[in-house]
Amino acid sequence: MERSATSPSALTGAVKGNGDAVFAAIVRCSAALILLGLGGMVAVMAWGARGAFARFGPGFVFDKAWNPVTQHFGAAAPMFGTVITALLAILLAVPLAFGIAVWLTEIASARIAGVIGTLIQLLAAVPSIIFGMWGFAVLVPFMAHYVEPLASHTLGRVPGIGTLFRGAPYGTGFLTGGMILAVMITPFICAVMRDVFLSMPAVLKESAYGLGMTRWEVVRRIILPWSRSSVVGGVMLGLGRALGETMAITFVIGNANHIGWSLFSPGNTIASLIALEFPESAVGSLKFSSLMAAGFLLMLISLGTLVCSRLLLRTKAAGR
Amino acid sequence: MTVAQNDAAPAAISVRNLDFYYGAHHALKDISIDFPQGQVTGMIGPSGCGKSTLLRVLNRMYDLYPGQRATGEVIFDGCNIIGPKVNLNVLRSRVGMVFQKPTPFPMSIYDNIAFGVRLHERLDRAAMDARVEDVLRRVALWPEVRDRLRDSAAALSGGQQQRLCIARTIATRPEVVLLDEPTSALDPVSTARIEELLDELKADFTIAIVTHNLQQAARCADQVAFFYMGEVVEVDSADRMFTTPREKRTQDYITGRFG
Repeated sequence: MERSATSPSALTGAVKGNGDAVFAAIVRCSAALILLGLGGMVAVMAWGARGAFARFGPGFVFDKAWNPVTQHFGAAAPMFGTVITALLAILLAVPLAFGIAVWLTEIASARIAGVIGTLIQLLAAVPSIIFGMWGFAVLVPFMAHYVEPLASHTLGRVPGIGTLFRGAPYGTGFLTGGMILAVMITPFICAVMRDVFLSMPAVLKESAYGLGMTRWEVVRRIILPWSRSSVVGGVMLGLGRALGETMAITFVIGNANHIGWSLFSPGNTIASLIALEFPESAVGSLKFSSLMAAGFLLMLISLGTLVCSRLLLRTKAAGR
Repeated sequence: MTVAQNDAAPAAISVRNLDFYYGAHHALKDISIDFPQGQVTGMIGPSGCGKSTLLRVLNRMYDLYPGQRATGEVIFDGCNIIGPKVNLNVLRSRVGMVFQKPTPFPMSIYDNIAFGVRLHERLDRAAMDARVEDVLRRVALWPEVRDRLRDSAAALSGGQQQRLCIARTIATRPEVVLLDEPTSALDPVSTARIEELLDELKADFTIAIVTHNLQQAARCADQVAFFYMGEVVEVDSADRMFTTPREKRTQDYITGRFG
């Protein structure tokens, strides 16, 4: 049977309609928008920051003064606070998230695991301002009255690490900030860990148990190595969030331009500094420019974290 | 139903009146069977008839999953292993298991074997090296991996991985080895090697193997059990089972009329 060139089954000829071309154009535009948006943001931040960098030079990064009266600005203190609180948050959140994920996937019965799993997801949906208010109303007094005095009387006397736990118990500060962040990022890290633990082939676990391993040995020796790269990815996701979190930490960090090794001392983070000072700075002023510069540095720190995690994952993947 | 009358060897494991449930599903119905010491027991039958379920009872693997339970008696070393107070870690080190698909752990070839041994024994370096070499020789993998013991086990072929898993299982010196369709994912050459291996291993271990390959059961097994719909229909020596089965259902199955 001979086919005409226009019959639907002909292999050559015009494509039916031009829906595909339109669709391709739309998705291409969406992808380009991301590039444009990111590029635009970096450009605006850098342009806004030019005044501060021109005035203070690279010293802006290392200077811990922030004095609107003398018009002298430096980002060292909030940068320090940002990194310290985020690291504290990771330190507290990772073991907690890991414990929850192991319990949900290995030990809890399916029904309870479902309920708790949903609750944890709900925790992730709580707006950060709520965490901030809760932190200020509950966590800060609790820390000031109980945790910090107790810690400085016990841990504070240990040589070496004692420095971390000395100082006046204000309640606000690096430790409280780190704790709030930890509560906020735990659900994210936990969700990633749970998914990867669930995706592990059952026979691999069974053969581990089949050799007579205990639960802990299976988790430590089989599940963790097997899921290492995804776990690192989840931790980095949490770290990224902790670095950029603003509202919750503004309530509990203490807003003092301070660098010190006492975890109880009030400090500041870049995001919190910007949130508080931005409304009070005139567009085009040196302070405005300095805030833009601080924001630019925060962006660099976040991007750096992301790049690091990518590199970590790549070497792990290649080593496997 | 007939319980095997085996004159020569005493039973390493005796199953008596075993019932097993996946939740409400009654998967094994009043099973009784002996696994004679130093022999290979082949378990055949259509899919879903309970063969693998029985294996998972023998090392209590079902314990990992809520809602699965067994009643009856499984006597191993004078003890009812489905009763309470059984130390599962010890039980599983004495009743080893090999799965349908190879399951190398995410570590080196050497560590895949040494790891299981370390759980139960303290060996110095030389003794551990010797143990690893010994089991790898027994599964005929040594010549292929002797130069790359530190490489990841994931780099081995499927057949090599399965032999590694068998080596890993026998390295802890269990008394019983359970194999759940160990060759169904392998090519004919690898399959033949593993079948030869079974013949050598039964000098030291009691072996229970689930297989869908009737020729494999005929070749490897001393005793064969035919399972159907959660029951043991017939247990007999491999010779008699495949030449003169007593039950009509057995005959239908081995001649390919159903299943």
